[in-house]
Amino acid sequence: MTHDYRVRRFDVEALTRVEGEGGLIVEIREGELADVRLRIFEPPRFFEGFLVGRDHTEPPDITARICGICPVAYQMSACQALEAACGVDVDDDIRTLRHLLYCGEWIESHVLHVHLLHAPDFLGYPSGLAMAADHRAEVERGLRLKKVGNSVVEVVGGRAVHPVNVRVGGFYSTPTAAAMRALASDLHQAMDDAIDVARWVATFDIPEHGLPEGTALVALRHATEYPMLGERLVSTTGLDIGVDEYPDHFAEVQVEHSTALHGSMLAGGDYLVGPLARFALNADHLAPTAAALARELGLDAAERNPFRSIVVRAIETVHACATALAIAEAYTPPARAWVPVEPRAAAGCGWSEAPRGLLWHRYEIDDQGRIAAARIVPPTSQNQPAIEHDLAHLIGHSLHLDDDDLEAICEQAVRNYDPCISCATHFLDMRIHRS
Amino acid sequence: MTEEPLVTAVTAVTAVVTVIAVGNPYRGDDGVGAAVLAAVSESLGPDPRVRLVELDGEPVRMMQAWEGSALVWLVDAMSSDVPPGSLQEVDARRLDEGDSSWRGVGGGHALGLREAIEFAAALDRLPAEIRVLGIEGETFDHGEGLSPAVTHAVPAAAARLVAAIRRHLDPTH
Repeated sequence: MTHDYRVRRFDVEALTRVEGEGGLIVEIREGELADVRLRIFEPPRFFEGFLVGRDHTEPPDITARICGICPVAYQMSACQALEAACGVDVDDDIRTLRHLLYCGEWIESHVLHVHLLHAPDFLGYPSGLAMAADHRAEVERGLRLKKVGNSVVEVVGGRAVHPVNVRVGGFYSTPTAAAMRALASDLHQAMDDAIDVARWVATFDIPEHGLPEGTALVALRHATEYPMLGERLVSTTGLDIGVDEYPDHFAEVQVEHSTALHGSMLAGGDYLVGPLARFALNADHLAPTAAALARELGLDAAERNPFRSIVVRAIETVHACATALAIAEAYTPPARAWVPVEPRAAAGCGWSEAPRGLLWHRYEIDDQGRIAAARIVPPTSQNQPAIEHDLAHLIGHSLHLDDDDLEAICEQAVRNYDPCISCATHFLDMRIHRS
Repeated sequence: MTEEPLVTAVTAVTAVVTVIAVGNPYRGDDGVGAAVLAAVSESLGPDPRVRLVELDGEPVRMMQAWEGSALVWLVDAMSSDVPPGSLQEVDARRLDEGDSSWRGVGGGHALGLREAIEFAAALDRLPAEIRVLGIEGETFDHGEGLSPAVTHAVPAAAARLVAAIRRHLDPTH
């Protein structure tokens, strides 16, 4: 960090407790905020180019490697896009198993973020490790809960990391009834733990702050479910579109300071995806236990304070546990594990709600199933502009803080969004100009 | 991908030895950990005392994977100044004492093996012995497949692990 009497400049070279490698630059001149840039400098990973020429059956396995935290999200969006291209609808019980798998990923991801990455900010510790020494019981409870999320992914997905049991059309094999009964037993305990976690994070001293006016909240919507697998994309500004219409309303632009593209709404203005947006647009579809807890903790659909996203994540964890429990208890092995997906020359889009927000995929395949084009829009790139503008808004109200406190609250504010930089950096459009 | 993948609730099994491979098979030699794990599996055959698991380096998963094990081996690609395919071994508790080439082992991001070790120590969940086997990589470019030097090193790395595992399970071996 450098500063003189007129210029305060923060250069947080490497943000800690975020997934991936990024930094933050803040410049204040003559007492006014001059510049805020969330720098993403993790090398781009070119996954979309990598997918071209591969078979239409491969994206679930390949794209799962984009992120170790949310591989299920990639698999679900990829499967749905390729099934759409091939004109296939999966059976209801296959979709239900996908929903269960997704619950496992939400539990894993949210619990990791709440306990190891975000709670230390609120409790005044530099790391999850430091926090564990003084809050061992809470950390042990979090680990217990995360382990149940791992088990869900393992039982349905074949293993806890980069699941191998997912295929276009469904699953390679389905869990036994006995495995599902064991899972249901674990999920009963997980429900209690998740409720305790939500009550715990609600006691944190949460800064008063609100998103800038005009930031639209955008999330999937389903007729009856809190969306992991949704049907329509809706927003607080009245958007209501189908999966194929996404490119008509959203675009990505390249910026100099980031190896990740920045999402934008063609109609203008910032938008935000993720827990706060999901909750604002879908609170009426939470599981009853989660909905009652949200009311008890004072959360309502008008919530726009990103610092309270930790409470929303905890509520979503309760919802994921309740949903997983209901599915596990009602489970009977499906009649078939997958439906055939014969290739045809077509394009298809798919989307789902990754723990951090909307994840949209589009594939073009030929009649042999070879992929001719692939496009992946992950949540963190969509959120980058909104994060930068929220930081500007926050700093504008916090200029009275000394440098250390201002830097700390900015880092905490970035972590409100649980940015997954690893996800965001795989689609840089690189062009070489020669003259 | 086969039609009959392994779908087991492995968390229900408490293994005596856990071998964790970290890396990305879509990034060239970064996939060597998984290749070594496959070779170890073939050599040892099914053994409920040995758990072989591929992870991404996230510390909580690593800690939970080794829960209950007395001996843990972590296998990962390395990038230092030794010839590609070279094997290096270190006590994971002493990563800080080694040269800087060990610092990225077990996770490419903000959280990795060092954090897992520190976290496990704070929660009294460290195994009695935890060691890292590093295989020097040549290329980490996009795409599948190991370089010739690293491919050549896989059997030796697997043999070293198998010998260590057998020694641990049967000290008279």
